[in-house]
Amino acid sequence: MTDKLNLERQSFLGADSEIVLGRTKAALVGLGGGGSHVAQQLAHIGVGSFLPIDPDCMEDTNLNRLVGGAMEDVKLRTPKVDIAERIIKAVNPAAEVVKRQASWTEVTAELRDVDVIFACVDSISCRSELEVFARRFLIPLIDIGMDVHESSDEFSISGQVMLSLPGKPCMRCMGLVTDEALAKEAAKYGAAGGKPQVIWPNGTLASIAVGFFMRLVTPWETRKATPVLLEYDGDLQTVSPSNKLSYLPAHCKHFDSLNDLGDPFWNSDALAVA
Amino acid sequence: MRTILKITAILYDDLVRTLREPHDFAAERVAFLKCRPALSAMSLLLLAGGVHHVEDGDYVDDPSAGATIGRSALRKALQTAYAEAVSMVHVHLHEHRGRPGFSRTDLRENALFVPDFWNVQPGLPHGAVVFSFDSSVGQCWIPGSTIPACMEVAIVGSPMRCTWKAARD
Repeated sequence: MTDKLNLERQSFLGADSEIVLGRTKAALVGLGGGGSHVAQQLAHIGVGSFLPIDPDCMEDTNLNRLVGGAMEDVKLRTPKVDIAERIIKAVNPAAEVVKRQASWTEVTAELRDVDVIFACVDSISCRSELEVFARRFLIPLIDIGMDVHESSDEFSISGQVMLSLPGKPCMRCMGLVTDEALAKEAAKYGAAGGKPQVIWPNGTLASIAVGFFMRLVTPWETRKATPVLLEYDGDLQTVSPSNKLSYLPAHCKHFDSLNDLGDPFWNSDALAVA
Repeated sequence: MRTILKITAILYDDLVRTLREPHDFAAERVAFLKCRPALSAMSLLLLAGGVHHVEDGDYVDDPSAGATIGRSALRKALQTAYAEAVSMVHVHLHEHRGRPGFSRTDLRENALFVPDFWNVQPGLPHGAVVFSFDSSVGQCWIPGSTIPACMEVAIVGSPMRCTWKAARD
């Protein structure tokens, strides 16, 4: 018995899938209901390197959905990144975890190095800004979004998972980010009360996000084109390709300039320091 | 510090298609990737955003090499680097599977013409890459250093390509 993960049961992913996964670095931006699920699954799969990012600590309102969080963490106000590290290391002690209790905007140099970013954030503005960043450094971004709406005295659960691949349609192309939605969100900024969130839709969406990731890194089949936007109807408990996909352009028109790439403040003097 | 050329699968597929087009006399084609640089915590990144093609008339009929380009081709590439403020990466394709290698001629010529781009963009890294159908090798000239660094390639698409292959080689 060693501390090494035995991945024999997932060998159908390819003869070298274990090596590939071990050399893959994933960033998890947001380690609440969605991100904690993703962290756990990636650890089980054998991802070798993690960059968990979240400025927040565990609170009592997180306990209904944050995987790995315990009552003791509420009492101790454990940082969410510490909980993520604990989950990952418990499954795979060999995994490299470079945790950052910060906003992602404070650790952009490290974020540029990852292979894939999981965006598990609440606001439209934050997912939009993350996508702009990911496109600038040609990093695939997998976004999870979930919402509980109130209508006619009842509630509805919905969500979506999107794969934003550089060069391919972006969140604006897909209508997930619009100026109207950003303005509406900005107008509500600071409004009291958190959004309703529950564990089971987060788990469904996180599992789909991990499926997107696996198709990027070690695809188990390549004949079928994966829809890049899947919609979740939490009331019917169904997941289906978005109707928006049939109207999408083949290429993104929002990030198609050389000026959208690289360090806008490039200075070769920094090379000497590096 | 690692040096990594990143290119979208869309741009890469388009590039390979054009590199495989037959030429009247040249056995292979070459092109230049227009890139913007960035530094990360661990790496120097060259992010490809477009292709500068070499026109048919700018090849030189030279049976001693797969492709030889003339002065006008280089002048146009230098002009692009200057006008668009980009790093330039010379690319060509070896039509086989597995890890490719630069020929002795490639290595000699790379060392001669790649640093020429510093005449027009002295603050930017420039380089050369040879692709095979499923792998690549590259060299990057980084400002402040006269010896080229090895450059890995990541093709960003679904599935991700080459980064992993290069890591395995």
